[in-house]
Amino acid sequence: MTLKRMTFLQHLLDFMGLAGRLHLEWISSAEAQRFVATVTGFTETIRRLGPSPLRSAALRRYDNISAAPVPCSGPASLQPPAMPDSGIQIANG
Amino acid sequence: MDLKFVPSICSYCGTGCGVLFEVLDGELVGTLPMKTHPVNHGKLCIKGWNLHEHVNSPLRLKHPLVKTFGRFTKVDWDKAIGVATDRLKAVIAAHGPDSVGILVSAKMTNEENYLAQKFARAVIGTNNVDHCARL
Amino acid sequence: MTSIQQQVHTWLEEGRVDIFLAYRMVEGHPLPHAFTRERIDETDTLVTGPARYSLEKFATHIASRYPDAKIGMVARDCNQRALNVLQVWNQLKPGQVDTVPVNCCPSLLKPHADCSYLEPKPAGHVKLERGQDPNQSLAQADTLPRAERFDRWMYEFSKCIKCYGCRNICPVCFCKDCSLEHPDLIGTGHLPPDIPIFHLVRAVHMAGRCIDCGLCEDACPAEIPLRLLYRKVNAIVKDLFGYETGSGDTLPPFSILGDKPTMSPQPLLAVSQE
Repeated sequence: MTLKRMTFLQHLLDFMGLAGRLHLEWISSAEAQRFVATVTGFTETIRRLGPSPLRSAALRRYDNISAAPVPCSGPASLQPPAMPDSGIQIANG
Repeated sequence: MDLKFVPSICSYCGTGCGVLFEVLDGELVGTLPMKTHPVNHGKLCIKGWNLHEHVNSPLRLKHPLVKTFGRFTKVDWDKAIGVATDRLKAVIAAHGPDSVGILVSAKMTNEENYLAQKFARAVIGTNNVDHCARL
Repeated sequence: MTSIQQQVHTWLEEGRVDIFLAYRMVEGHPLPHAFTRERIDETDTLVTGPARYSLEKFATHIASRYPDAKIGMVARDCNQRALNVLQVWNQLKPGQVDTVPVNCCPSLLKPHADCSYLEPKPAGHVKLERGQDPNQSLAQADTLPRAERFDRWMYEFSKCIKCYGCRNICPVCFCKDCSLEHPDLIGTGHLPPDIPIFHLVRAVHMAGRCIDCGLCEDACPAEIPLRLLYRKVNAIVKDLFGYETGSGDTLPPFSILGDKPTMSPQPLLAVSQE
């Protein structure tokens, strides 16, 4: 049953664009070597894939709300006044 | 076995989405969006979807309650109205009519809401009237 | 009196059904209505047309209160598939619901089709640019690069207002306790809900159940292309297990163990470095 569900989920996540981040393996408590090999291998795969796009997607969502989709290109009188420099530097990290 | 479908308008806000109540044996068991309604075209928000919940809720107030010594006690209507009148009179006498605000509800009829604002403006003498459906 | 009105009249009169679910016009709106023997004259007002409500869901409500009630209803193909699924999941007894087939999706066999989904709304330019076009085929949805696919789905999911409309309208959603309302599984108090978990949890639960009626997409105030997602879910179920949801009376692959394992663990899906 687990196998069925996990195989299904691998395909579904691939459709979403999140392939390769789910892995299922049966390892007995006596198979220490296999456990090490599996975890090391999977860690390597994940490292190669890079950080999960879910986190950056969550942040981007809020950026989109404030971003103006079309830059204002009307006459100068309609341009918003330039913001006075507050002197506060916001570190971009 | 008596199943009825009653078209109505969602009472949560001023948008006016069309809803359809599913009534089984006189008990409201579900709310559906009305597919052909020109306002919502078969869509609802979470409040509209759960319109039937408050009707059957066990938390509904069915009797007037008066808070004495920090506890609510069940009283009859005459007593409850008497207590409210006394307290309102005392507050208005001490702090003026604008110290009172009236909150009304979308769960009452239009006529009851009209009466409530009339009560606030004509009897108490304040414009502090508000409503949960003021979107 | 049309032939369908005549048929319903006869069925109620003969006692073949106790209650018949169909539509009638109320103040210009085609609304579902339960026709009964006590008010048999109402059958004159029965109409068919493009109106779609999940009548089978009402049937399960009746059946849960009156387990022996004989229920009749007008059924499109999607209603029929839903009835099959509800029967498989023990929400209706076999033979409890009698159907009068009505026109449905267009095909060579059915030139006169009545369905609100006949002409899907074309997607606007913002949706085409940033989201997933609900009218595209699964093959088209699969051809986009992975990163873009992900971005487009996340854009769609981020519009969710968590109204639970997709679940509430779904004819095959009947659980008393829903995972989507479990505070440990889905965080509460913020919008959009935990994406994509909220939608994927529902998608997983639709595997072997979704009958592709499109009511969820119809009811979605944010116009998330849920039908496309669940179509994929059932395409996976069909590819992996050869199970056609809603077609018959066999249990779906996720609810039976089977005699012996027929699969082996998949290696990690090959991911190209895009």
